[in-house]
Amino acid sequence: MAAPFTLRKIGVPPNSANLTEARRRVFDFFRAACRSIPTIMDIYNLQDVVAPSQLRFAISAQIRNNAHITDPKVIDLLLFKGMEELTDIVDHAKQRHHIIGQYVVGEGLVQNTGNKDQGRTDFLKNFYTSNYF
Amino acid sequence: MASLSTTSLSFKAPSTRISQVLRKGSSFQSVAFGRFASSTSKTSLRLQISCAAKAETVQKVSDIVKEQLALTADTPLTAESKFTALGADSLDTVEIVMALEEKFNISVEESDAQNITTIQEAADLIEDLVQKKPAA
Repeated sequence: MAAPFTLRKIGVPPNSANLTEARRRVFDFFRAACRSIPTIMDIYNLQDVVAPSQLRFAISAQIRNNAHITDPKVIDLLLFKGMEELTDIVDHAKQRHHIIGQYVVGEGLVQNTGNKDQGRTDFLKNFYTSNYF
Repeated sequence: MASLSTTSLSFKAPSTRISQVLRKGSSFQSVAFGRFASSTSKTSLRLQISCAAKAETVQKVSDIVKEQLALTADTPLTAESKFTALGADSLDTVEIVMALEEKFNISVEESDAQNITTIQEAADLIEDLVQKKPAA
């Protein structure tokens, strides 16, 4: 059996210098999350409800949702929030129905309604900037 | 290890199996190899080139890759196919490595994971880690 993985809580690291480092951090976060999946399934008794591969897919889907972002600082912030969420889940600060509702996907959840900031038209974006367009 | 693999290049397919048994020593039984000899005839040619991974491992890795990338059953999948050629982006590659970690109960370091680009490399790395694990 591989050594059990524990999520070590470190302080906020300095911002990533460039996109490459931000990518590396994204993959580190993804690896940490995937390695915590056995613990999560154990804590919330998800053995019959979902398979680890489905949880991995849910995590990667959320990461892919933000895949179009190029600013390292924005990526850092998203990673911070992701890490916060992961820590909460592993600390049993959430409950089973939260996990099932948010990650064992159902239809019509807010997270599934497509990427942010992508409207069919630019009407509202122009409207927010000025009255005349 | 490098010298052993070059000597086994000169063997024909059945002998490659036997040379693998001799190299890996006591941790594997020869009965297991006999079981796979018939089912892996199409991979034996590739094993002549890179004799470091068992065909069973390569098959398991291919199954995981197929499932992860949602490939159809008739997609040509050889041991040398690159993940990017099969339509995987970098996050998919990391996900495949994590799925392999779970399946084989190993722990892949980040430095090792960077170098995995084909199915054969993944199978080789898995073989190394599985061998090192009982010894640790």
